[in-house]
Amino acid sequence: MTAKTRGPWSRLYAGFGISGPVTLLLLAAALGVPWLPGEFWTHVGTEVLIFGLFAMSFNLLYGYMGQISFGHAAFFGVGAYATAMLFTALKGADGQIGIAEFLLSLLAGPPVAALVALVVGFFCVRLTGIYFAILTLAFGELLFYIVFSWYTFTKGDDGIQGLLPPPFFQDSTNFYFFTLAIVAVAAAVMWRITESPFGYALRTLRDNQRRAGFLGTNVRVHMLVNFVLAGTFAGIAGALWGPFSRSVNPGLLGWGESGIAVFMTLIGGAGSFIGPLLGSVIYTMLQAVVKMYTVYWPLTIGTIILLIVLFAPGGILGMIDKRIQATRARKDAAGADAAAAAPAKEQRP
Amino acid sequence: MSQNILEVTGLEKHFGGVHVTCDIHFAMQEGEQSAIIGPNGAGKSTFMNLLTGYHRPDAGKVVFAGREITGMPPHKVVRRGISRAFQVSSIFGRMTVSENVRAAVQAQMRATFRLFASARTLGAGETERMLALCGLEGKRDLVAGELAQGDKKRLELAIALAGKPRLLLLDEPTAGMSIDEARSTMELVDRLNQELKLTVLFTEHDMGIVFNHARKLTLLHRGEIILQGTPEEVRANETAQKVYLGEHRT
Amino acid sequence: MDIAPYALQLFSGLSRAMVLFLLSAGLSLIFGVMNILNFAHATLWLLSGYVTFSIFTFLSQQFGVSPWLLLPAIAGAVALMSLFGFALERLLIRHTYERELPEQLLLTFALVLILGDVIKLIWGLENRRINLGVRPIEMLDTLVNPYQFVIIGTGFAVAVGLWLFLQRTRFGKIVRAAVYSRSMVSALGIRIPMIYASVFALGVGLAALAGGVFLPLLPMALGVDLDIIVQCFAVVVIGGFGSMLGTFVASIIVGIVYSFSILFWPDGALAMIFLIVIAVLIVRPWGLFGTELRS
Repeated sequence: MTAKTRGPWSRLYAGFGISGPVTLLLLAAALGVPWLPGEFWTHVGTEVLIFGLFAMSFNLLYGYMGQISFGHAAFFGVGAYATAMLFTALKGADGQIGIAEFLLSLLAGPPVAALVALVVGFFCVRLTGIYFAILTLAFGELLFYIVFSWYTFTKGDDGIQGLLPPPFFQDSTNFYFFTLAIVAVAAAVMWRITESPFGYALRTLRDNQRRAGFLGTNVRVHMLVNFVLAGTFAGIAGALWGPFSRSVNPGLLGWGESGIAVFMTLIGGAGSFIGPLLGSVIYTMLQAVVKMYTVYWPLTIGTIILLIVLFAPGGILGMIDKRIQATRARKDAAGADAAAAAPAKEQRP
Repeated sequence: MSQNILEVTGLEKHFGGVHVTCDIHFAMQEGEQSAIIGPNGAGKSTFMNLLTGYHRPDAGKVVFAGREITGMPPHKVVRRGISRAFQVSSIFGRMTVSENVRAAVQAQMRATFRLFASARTLGAGETERMLALCGLEGKRDLVAGELAQGDKKRLELAIALAGKPRLLLLDEPTAGMSIDEARSTMELVDRLNQELKLTVLFTEHDMGIVFNHARKLTLLHRGEIILQGTPEEVRANETAQKVYLGEHRT
Repeated sequence: MDIAPYALQLFSGLSRAMVLFLLSAGLSLIFGVMNILNFAHATLWLLSGYVTFSIFTFLSQQFGVSPWLLLPAIAGAVALMSLFGFALERLLIRHTYERELPEQLLLTFALVLILGDVIKLIWGLENRRINLGVRPIEMLDTLVNPYQFVIIGTGFAVAVGLWLFLQRTRFGKIVRAAVYSRSMVSALGIRIPMIYASVFALGVGLAALAGGVFLPLLPMALGVDLDIIVQCFAVVVIGGFGSMLGTFVASIIVGIVYSFSILFWPDGALAMIFLIVIAVLIVRPWGLFGTELRS
């Protein structure tokens, strides 16, 4: 009944939920970032995108499948290392790398991350809840220590340095738009997946895993496929990280890094597709600003997380979404009252 | 004599030292509608758990439509044609009513690995049919977890039916429903049984419903079958009255 | 064969095991009773170490330096931290009992970040350590810090004490019943909120004891808590959630494996522990001494 009066925002909301309008706003903002004065914000913007992709890949596990992973950074890190190693192998003696070789090295990250996720996931999908969380943590830490201590292969805690992209991509604006394009495509693919029958099968696992089995869904196989998908997208984010920061180090695989994805998702809202990306915007920008003034970043972010858990459990988008729905329910109720009242009026002489 | 669609022989299950299912022999013919009755803790839900693969039996055999399904995991049992609605409604609480049913329809279509198909359109017709069948059209966009108890049970039934079963197991299908809701639900079950030739096995506490809607009764007590027969036979049986019916005459 | 390095690792492994046990016992109790995995447990331990240090320093200034002042310092820290734990449960933790697992984890993880910076604000970046001036003694062809035996003794004593406490006292019985079935306990008319806060205080108190006892052996340093908490998780998982015996045995396994791995694969000592965790979770998710619960 109210559909006629709905504007374009409402229609967008009806089609894509809160993610629709927010995505458009974020996209508009993203296109404007390089015109901000100074290279600083372009740099932060690139970081927002890479971590946003990482957090969104995490949310495939958490928001859609209902399992929390504390080892998701392992796939981000493995992707970063795979790219960094191929990058190092392909670059010339002068430290320069050609465009084709550069793109090729980027392609190395995701499949290697997927492969590792397949092996790790094979074991992890047997468990749920706190056991899933701890097993992913244990695998993540194991991979961290392997990278950390296998000096001959990974250069250990020195990390891999000198990942200088080709001249065109050394320009921060160019690299920013390159990253934006990749992240946008990856996000679009993820959106398709979450809105597919597979995506809804994941939601049934989240809401009631036992019952999902009684629909004829092979619970473990669905979990494993999703685990590999999440690992692959984390690997794409990781692949971008090396050339962006010019280096990789074992810390990228550690659980502190996994925690960042969890924080971003929680801040933005796990219940909506775009929530983790918004979380990355807030987290990364806040970190960039706060770190300019104080060393007490953990205190700041810790307090924010505390407040969100206590007062806005659905994250920022969850909170906004709740407001919108409440307003709508009110309006609909008012509309229904008006409709009920109208015939009565007509009957009056 | 027509072929048995379900044949259970010597089914046993114990948890720790407690026998919850003892040497159960049970059969159903295609198109039958029968009920399992018995006091709380008689092993009705466990029996259904054993049939659907949620528990693995310690001994015995379950044969469905001529093929052995003993110890198969639930998702395989479902694909053979056994659907189940749960006693405590066990729906997908954060999804809407139509998403619940649609997910079940798509699982039945084996479409859940189609990563790039559109969930909104695939199986939409079948979803609408199920919603209409169970009287849930008006509630399609409500979040399932916030439904009233009676609606949850109807959604439970719609999800089970979406699996296109040959055998439908209903664990207390009318629990938590008003008298009117219970009546219309059982009328629907009768219609499914008569028009679609669906074989139905249900458990129920309300003896009125049992006697009106089941053509064969099985009385379970402490994990054992102590009586099988028509409603009239069970009503007339003294043991049955002592074990079970007595306590429900209030 | 030269046994000296092994003996050294054995003693340091056992003392590490005892610290892990004191921490994990509290962690396991809190999880068993309230179903909360407290990420901040090791950070509270770290904070206790700093508090003990400050009390010790204060007492030394008042009464002159003596190693015996460590005892009142530890007692003071245990009392203060137990109170702090009690307040923490009443003010924050209790709000998450009805929440989902990730939110609970994040709340306690937020505490890790906050408390870590609070330590930094109060005590600065400098490591804190108490030097008791104990002379090493010679045994098994090597020099051993005898203080390690104090730690090992304390660990065993607390293990026995805790066991008696849980078996014999009314409070202990309630706690064990709560681990088994929360609804049963509240049906008995016992005031659950007080039980929860007390268990949390007890857990933090045990952590404080570990912090104080540990102080003369290794310095308290920022960030150590993160290393320790994952090892405690490992202990609780290996031993089985809610099992005291399991926690004790797993502490010894983790402590010994850790210190012996250092001999063979210095960077990978923790990796070895995670390998054990992975193996246990795959083969026996409910842990070595836990009981299998059907979901």
